[in-house]
Amino acid sequence: MTVSFFSEVAHHPTALWVAISPHTLSHSMIEKAGRFSLAVLTQKQAHLAELCGTTSGRETDKCARLDLHASPSGFLFLAGALASTGCVVRHSEPIGDHTIFVADIIEAELDSATLDQRQLLLSDLQD
Amino acid sequence: MRFPGRTIWDTRVQSVCGILSANGAAGIEIFVSASFAQVSLSPPLVIVNPNRMHSIEPAIALTGRFAINVMPVSSRRTVARLMKMRRREPNKSQVAGLSIEEDEHLIPFVEGALRVVFCEVERNIPSGDRRLYIARVLASRVNSTFAGQRPLLFSDVLGTQSASYSRKLIRRILIVSGAFDLAKKLRNRLRPAPPPDIARTTYEQAGATEEEIARINQYGIVDHSRKLKPPAAPAIVKKRIGVCVVGTGWGGVHCRYLRMASPAARIFVCGRNPERTARLARSVGAEAMFTDLRTAVEDERVQALTLALPHDIHRQAAETGAAAGKHVLVEKPIATNLIDADAMIDTARTAGTILMVAEDMHFRPSVREAVACVSRGDVGEPLYLLVHAGGLRRPQGWAADKDRMGGGVLIDIGVHYIRGLRLLMGEPDRVLASRAMQVNTKMLGEDSVHLLFASRSGWEATMLLTWSSPRGNLPDIVLAGDQGALHLWPGKRYLDYYPAAPRFLPNMISYVRPYWLQEKLIRPQMQRIRITQPDKDGTGYLGEMQEFLTAISEDRPPASRGEDGRRDLEIVLRCYESLDRGTWSDIPTL
Repeated sequence: MTVSFFSEVAHHPTALWVAISPHTLSHSMIEKAGRFSLAVLTQKQAHLAELCGTTSGRETDKCARLDLHASPSGFLFLAGALASTGCVVRHSEPIGDHTIFVADIIEAELDSATLDQRQLLLSDLQD
Repeated sequence: MRFPGRTIWDTRVQSVCGILSANGAAGIEIFVSASFAQVSLSPPLVIVNPNRMHSIEPAIALTGRFAINVMPVSSRRTVARLMKMRRREPNKSQVAGLSIEEDEHLIPFVEGALRVVFCEVERNIPSGDRRLYIARVLASRVNSTFAGQRPLLFSDVLGTQSASYSRKLIRRILIVSGAFDLAKKLRNRLRPAPPPDIARTTYEQAGATEEEIARINQYGIVDHSRKLKPPAAPAIVKKRIGVCVVGTGWGGVHCRYLRMASPAARIFVCGRNPERTARLARSVGAEAMFTDLRTAVEDERVQALTLALPHDIHRQAAETGAAAGKHVLVEKPIATNLIDADAMIDTARTAGTILMVAEDMHFRPSVREAVACVSRGDVGEPLYLLVHAGGLRRPQGWAADKDRMGGGVLIDIGVHYIRGLRLLMGEPDRVLASRAMQVNTKMLGEDSVHLLFASRSGWEATMLLTWSSPRGNLPDIVLAGDQGALHLWPGKRYLDYYPAAPRFLPNMISYVRPYWLQEKLIRPQMQRIRITQPDKDGTGYLGEMQEFLTAISEDRPPASRGEDGRRDLEIVLRCYESLDRGTWSDIPTL
């Protein structure tokens, strides 16, 4: 799924947080597996954000339409992303209408082809 | 080419760059953050994660309120400057030139922000070296001045987005052509990358345990020890002032710099020896000469005195001048004891005249630039100051008399470097003094001394002051921080900056093999950045004369006041106390 509510938690231990609505399929999958991948999209990947943000995984297999590959630890990383991170959930709790997952980053991958590109912003999708 | 991320920066989770602002115990605190985001739509909640070693964290904890200032892309330079600033620098907003306002919730915010989100903390989650603050959005404000601009991104400030167009183009060509990947492979062959263990590599580069955070924070989150600042720029003399130089020895130097500072100044000379006084008066084109101080101060053409006299008669001369309504510039040290210094300050205060101490270190261009370098964060956290000053000298006359001088090399030149220490590092808290054997038996005061200063703020300073050995071609002041070092040279209009991060050429040479060839090629100067100041004079004498004359014409306190000179003397006297006792001496808190 497409998320825009995420950020860094700490440098040590290396961690990030992501907030996900409890009504989504991703929420139940992360809760069950205790691990997830987060790919930071580039400005040129707005179509992927729309693809993953407008349909539910309950209806279509979104993964089949993405260029994914497995990392050495078995995380699914997205080709052409600014960065892909493999995270293990350390803590979760409901906050407002979302659930926050605090997760340690244990693996990450970058692509040299995206080094001169910037992150996709929510405002890019609204333009 | 895909390659593993090794730190949290590699993963590029940080995106929109903003400034957190909050009211702290010591005033407004600001902090550049690229780690904030919305966490809930209803109710609207946000999360920020300030570092616990930065002053913004206790400020948010104290008031429970803060603002997220999302900056426009046009503010890249300001944010970059703020980001580079050292962690413990006080008054960051002033140093960075940011205008801060307060809203109706009494939350400080940045006036030039694209959007400001005012927040109130609901709870926090401790997490490693950061603390997650979950906060409710109280209000939001959009600045229409920046309509059409996108928010500043972290990569705009630190990444490739900040590079010039030509550099971006070259980088793009390198990436598309595959040269970048080739270089990376070659680099990994010459210097293998560390294992892709993100937790470990991040810890090594930026992490800190609870114990380490506590140890670092014992020196305070903000460094308030620097209470003295040099003037931002040399003063500009606009009025014609009548100045009488008292003393014909060092007084000659006063005359020369007075003339340079104000070619139209009316110079008078006063000395006990009529022949010497007349000779000096002729050589500097003085309007008149006096052989008695009382006659000089009674002359209506004389508005101010500069005193270049033996240290023990500073008080008498300064009081005579102030009693007659004359402004006084007294050579350093202000006096030989605190009783005299206090009396001089009181007399000037009562008379409503200026008492300035001629401390050239306060106006030395390289010191002014070094202070700016420290504030900007060029050297990171200042840790050590090394001073090696003096050189072979055989004092004669009153300068060889301990009672008239007030001591030896310590009170004569040490007082300069104590002022330099206060400007560059801050106020010292204690001192340990020792000395080698006396070589010059013709003087009663010490001809060398070794000082170690320590501060509660976490820095130390070492001073070797000597008249008994040559110095060689060395910088007289070296300031070392965790991000770089500064070398200051006596009398020079420049200073040398050695950043900790390798510059382009040394970095390239580090890949040269075999190692013997690398050692042949590398030069320490390759890492040097020479910062030159536009001032006409590198000593600071010109600046001090300009300041004295300008302070008189503008009727304002001068930059180097009598009180500042008194403090220098107080520290010198504590050094002597330590030298006598052979133990650490505490220096009173300013």
